[in-house]
Amino acid sequence: MLILILTAVAISSVFITLGFGVYNISVSDALAVFIDHINGTVSNKKGDYYVWNVRLPRALGAILVGASLSFAGAVMQNDMRNPLAEPYTMGVSSGAFLGAVLSIILGISIIPGLTGDWATVFNAFIFSLIPASMIVLISRFRKMTPTAMILTGLALMFVFSSIGQVIMVSAPAETLADAYNWRVGTLAKVTWENLPIMVTAVVPLCLILYALSSKFDVMYLGDRAATTLGVNANLIRIFSIFLVSLMTAAMVSFTGTIGFIGLVGPHVARIFVGSRNKYFLPAAMAFGASFLIIVDTIAKISGPSGLPVGVLSAMIGGPLFIYILVRQKRSAWA
Amino acid sequence: MDTSAPSEDNDGLIREYHRQIAKKMLLLIISVAGIILTVGLLSVSTFDGISLSQAYKIIWGHINGVEYDYGTQSRLWWADRYIWNRALPRATVAILAGASLAACGTLMQSVLSNPLADPYSTGISSGACFGAVAAIIVGISFSSMAGEAGIVTNAFIGALIPAIILIVISERINVTPATMILIGTAISYFFNSMVTFMMVTTDADTLKSAYLWQIGTFDGLTWSSVPIMFVVTVLGSACVVWLSSKLNVASLGDNAAISLGLDIKNFRILCLILMSIMTAAVISFTGIIGFVGIVAPHIVRIVVGTDNRFVVPISMSVGALLLLVADYIALSYADLPVGVIMALIGSPIFFILIVWQRKSMGAIY
Repeated sequence: MLILILTAVAISSVFITLGFGVYNISVSDALAVFIDHINGTVSNKKGDYYVWNVRLPRALGAILVGASLSFAGAVMQNDMRNPLAEPYTMGVSSGAFLGAVLSIILGISIIPGLTGDWATVFNAFIFSLIPASMIVLISRFRKMTPTAMILTGLALMFVFSSIGQVIMVSAPAETLADAYNWRVGTLAKVTWENLPIMVTAVVPLCLILYALSSKFDVMYLGDRAATTLGVNANLIRIFSIFLVSLMTAAMVSFTGTIGFIGLVGPHVARIFVGSRNKYFLPAAMAFGASFLIIVDTIAKISGPSGLPVGVLSAMIGGPLFIYILVRQKRSAWA
Repeated sequence: MDTSAPSEDNDGLIREYHRQIAKKMLLLIISVAGIILTVGLLSVSTFDGISLSQAYKIIWGHINGVEYDYGTQSRLWWADRYIWNRALPRATVAILAGASLAACGTLMQSVLSNPLADPYSTGISSGACFGAVAAIIVGISFSSMAGEAGIVTNAFIGALIPAIILIVISERINVTPATMILIGTAISYFFNSMVTFMMVTTDADTLKSAYLWQIGTFDGLTWSSVPIMFVVTVLGSACVVWLSSKLNVASLGDNAAISLGLDIKNFRILCLILMSIMTAAVISFTGIIGFVGIVAPHIVRIVVGTDNRFVVPISMSVGALLLLVADYIALSYADLPVGVIMALIGSPIFFILIVWQRKSMGAIY
């Protein structure tokens, strides 16, 4: 029920958000422009550009990023049995950060011949997968408990972010500001060009992970119980961590590291629908999507330069989350 | 025959026990020796052309009140000046900060029973950051002081806000470690977002100085910042060591702790207060020094096991050593913030320790 409501909220927010931004147009006019475009009868050229080419991809991007980060966080929290786990726990964010810093500050591109934004995207994508791949590799020849994985991820995270910081502190102030802004993350860079790539990365991965949801339920009982019930917890954990990292990397390399939603989205969902993954995973997705699009709308209202969406989601979501945590009747986490 | 077997077994156990204790002592001794050595190296690097033994002699002499005559012993006089006023304040702060953060990290990881917890889990760092960045960027000071002192007091007051919020909440409702951590995370996200907001709206140069504060540095520290840190750290760490056997009970989980007669709720709040004051006293002078608080306890646990009576003191010395070595490298070889260097050297070590840990080493993960 809640999932349906949240999905409805997310979809209607897509249309409402079309009316907000730098270009001044009312929500109903924006909707008219949108319908015009679909019917192929464009009357308002300028409006059409802003609504169709700028705002619609951004809105869809918000839905996609919110849903996938929150989903990824939910899977990670299940896998690691740790409430602090999030999509970035395996070092995806710091890997991506190093890749982006290399391209923004030093102008190095991993794929030869690329420059500018695309170099940053590919650098971020490739580097963000290094930590997760290393963890997968290590687990091939040594059994790893969830704690060991978390700690390995933590170590790798420190390795990458410290190298990134070395580059950053030696950078001139201007490029440092660029790199800093990249790390904060923004949805403004989502366009019709890169949206299809993001969709094709996310949808199949989500479906595969959702197909595993009953196995996650069993794993939640602990590794021994899972083994007794015939589930190879370790294998599924490694597999799902890799998929989550892939999904997160696909998001992060286009938007920068948008924080908060991946950690908090799953918790809010868990408080309302409980821990059964069949409902919990979609609820986390729906909440993530609707939260991020609403916050992004507020971000666009807040000013022409716009607050970064990650910042605003923590500003609004932080106190809200504390309120929900304090008011919950019974702790959703043991 | 029947009687000798158990005693042989016993002997074996006792030998094993002594071996374990010896190993713990060995690690402690190595890290303390390392600290002393690095202090010497740090002193040597601040003043050209003196040997390591001379450096110790000068430090020892200064403590005993030896004065050098400027006329006849001008080289020694200068060396004394340089070492006492430039090398030693940094070394002292590094030792204090490393020990204090490592102790707090151990405390938090045990109390919240979460390997990802660190002194900053309650949002202290983001609060301090908020205070300091407000002073640097906006020029707002909660006290009437300006400049450097304004940043320090702002950071200190800012650091205590999240802690106070968390303590007030956990007194009112029944919180589990998981909710406590989540509340702390939410608070730190909130303050971080304020910081980021200030940082992205400011000009590039102020952003740079604020960013550098965030990473943490020992540059420009003098003896004047030592006394507060010293008193708080020594008293605080004494408390943590004193509490360490209770920490063992607390880390078993709430139910076990209650059955063993520990008032876990009040104990947790007490630990939080202790930890907040200790951490705030350090980071308001140095900026946010990460890594040591979360990693030093893990490194020690991998080697000596989980008994907090050993983990607390040993990780204090290991933390101090880590930070001191990083500071030495930062000062003499690379012009980089100490936090970055520490993460750069420490994280590969940590990584190797986790991957190659053995059960026989006391590994737990």
